[in-house]
Amino acid sequence: MKICPASEVTFLDKDFDNSDAREQMDGPVGAMRVLVTGGSGLVGRAIERVVKEEEEGGREGEEWIFLSSKDANLMSAEETRSVFQKHRPTHVIHLAAMVGGLFRNMRQNLDFWRNNIFINDNVLQTAHEFGVVKVVSCLSTCIFPDKTTYPIDETMIHTGPPHESNFGYAYAKRMIDVHNRRVSLFQIHNGPPHESNFGYAYAKRMIDVHNRACFQQYGRRYTAVIPTNVFGPHDNFNIEDGHVLPGLIHKTYLAKKEGKPLQVWGSGRPLRQFIYSPDLARLFVWVLREYNEVEPIILSVGEEDELSIKDAVDAVVEALGFKGDVIYDTSKADGQFKKTASNAKLRKYLPDFKFTPFKAAIKETCDWFVANNDIARK
Amino acid sequence: MLVVTTLSDQSVICTLGTSTEVMDGPMRVLVTGGSGLVGRAIERVVKEGEGREGEEWIFLSSKEANLVSAEETRAVFQKHRPTHVIHLAAMVGGLYRNMRQNLDFWRDNVHINDNVLHMSQEFGVVKVVSCLSTCVFPDKTTYPIDETMMHNGAPHVSNYGYAYAKRMIDVHNRACFQQYGLRYTAIIPTNIFGPHDNFNIEDGHVMPGLVHKTYLAKKEGKPLEVWGSGRALRQFIFSVDLARLFVWALREYNEVEPIIASVGEEEEQSVKDAVDAVVEGFGFKGEVISFPFGVNYPFHPQTLTNRSQYDTSRSDGQIKKTASNAKLRKYLPDFKFTPFKEAVKETCDWLAANYDIARK
Repeated sequence: MKICPASEVTFLDKDFDNSDAREQMDGPVGAMRVLVTGGSGLVGRAIERVVKEEEEGGREGEEWIFLSSKDANLMSAEETRSVFQKHRPTHVIHLAAMVGGLFRNMRQNLDFWRNNIFINDNVLQTAHEFGVVKVVSCLSTCIFPDKTTYPIDETMIHTGPPHESNFGYAYAKRMIDVHNRRVSLFQIHNGPPHESNFGYAYAKRMIDVHNRACFQQYGRRYTAVIPTNVFGPHDNFNIEDGHVLPGLIHKTYLAKKEGKPLQVWGSGRPLRQFIYSPDLARLFVWVLREYNEVEPIILSVGEEDELSIKDAVDAVVEALGFKGDVIYDTSKADGQFKKTASNAKLRKYLPDFKFTPFKAAIKETCDWFVANNDIARK
Repeated sequence: MLVVTTLSDQSVICTLGTSTEVMDGPMRVLVTGGSGLVGRAIERVVKEGEGREGEEWIFLSSKEANLVSAEETRAVFQKHRPTHVIHLAAMVGGLYRNMRQNLDFWRDNVHINDNVLHMSQEFGVVKVVSCLSTCVFPDKTTYPIDETMMHNGAPHVSNYGYAYAKRMIDVHNRACFQQYGLRYTAIIPTNIFGPHDNFNIEDGHVMPGLVHKTYLAKKEGKPLEVWGSGRALRQFIFSVDLARLFVWALREYNEVEPIIASVGEEEEQSVKDAVDAVVEGFGFKGEVISFPFGVNYPFHPQTLTNRSQYDTSRSDGQIKKTASNAKLRKYLPDFKFTPFKEAVKETCDWLAANYDIARK
């Protein structure tokens, strides 16, 4: 099994026969060549680690290519095409995106909208043209309708949730519909996303639109996963533009180092489900191999593991051994108050999947940040 | 003085007066999709009195540039340097074509729209008025629909590719306003009809399809076959009326939120009403046979004679899309729409007189 950063891959002289890959779509994968866009990011690095180091990771004969923005600017159709011509993947895990935390999104909705639409269209369209068997893209619970009931589930990116009593029936019906190539339950928006990141949110939702339309027009089973708040080593720890957990870790590290109070933005009350990047990575690999629906799947800890920002602050403070004052600046925006997602669909497929306990995952992330402070993105 | 310059068969520049100053002078309006149903209607109203001294109106067609391409769009903006844009260009089609090609409708329209809106912003265009449609609204909704409801649910399954691409114009407008303060906006017409439409029976919309089929039925002495049950309800707006509203919006409507351009709810008609108007417009005397949708449909024979046949592939599309024009009426309480039968007659006469050159 070969794992390479894309820059080190030489042009493959064997003629890759796409028809083999298609025939193997539903069976055990032999000559899988997986291109991971956004391969140098938070989730990409976690997948690389899982593929290299773990038993259920990469398999014999497989090739995994981890692409970064240094190798190609996916906002350009030509550069995307060159990447596909060079690597001729059979499968794609599409993680590349323009991403940012709450405050950056609020300032630049147009850029988040446009750049992500370009990236996604380029990757999905080029994948289709090159006969890629399966693409697994990455959505987020932050793109769900702002005004909604909780917990949110996969049918609700779209229209109203099924009633509790026929949740299972609704899914069964949906799977039959998908299997029968009808998209009768196709509904993308239950309502508009939160104001703070509507550009990003719509661009991500349109991945799902593209997947369904591509399935309807060409029969391709491109799909997507919907993680909740991801954290872990190799994150973007930039305080202004990053997400809440890496931001907290970086700030606590500095507060401790400089002997100052820790200033937390917002009230600390919003609620989130956090998923550790290696756990997410394992699930991505499982989805690539085993999950055959076009409808996306939420990847998250259960509802009972939802935490407040304050809980997260406490865990980071404990992990870094910070002893100073913690101040909550309530003049700063909180973002969405809650985004509770249901992982019932995931549990139906993987009832025994074990998530890394939150505090252990935080400790590991903090330790990584301390040890790699110079090279960490910030 | 009105000067009309024809660049090609399809592209026309109307120059009123002599001034061609770009930034602080009068408007230079680029109309994308200028050779289409609405574009031709705007050209007509501009020539017939809506255009003002010193203005320049450029009517673009796909022959001059493929707006799916960013480079070609850029070249157009570089060449014409508009101050204003009416953006009508799109990949469009009737019910059956949409159902077959949702991916193409999604992608091509996203590209066209992004190219036009982005170039407009880059080239300092003061205002863009784009064209949405009530067919992009949520399928499951209360009626009448209004401008605030566009994103509140999924669109109809038959045309979601097109519908999302159009909705994203509004997303782009709002994001552009938030990031740059530009007041780009959009109009939401209901079912448009008129001269210069696409009269293709397989791929066109309901009104031009009916007009063309009735013309042929009359010419060939055959029955008129109508698809669907005839029960679907629509508000029809004559292209010339819509054109006047586009010009008004370009000049006077300053909200970023789009505005519905439609006759009132009380003017909603069934497809059968439309059939009757077209039959009358042509003086068609033959049989009218209707092909209602599917075997699960309530079995009410919709025929006007004693015969009936059932074609399960001929869907009705959305059964209703009733839109409120209250916002329009707030701005223009006295705006007069052309009476429906008169507008249908004009359209039928136009097709009969221009059959060879009509798009079909």
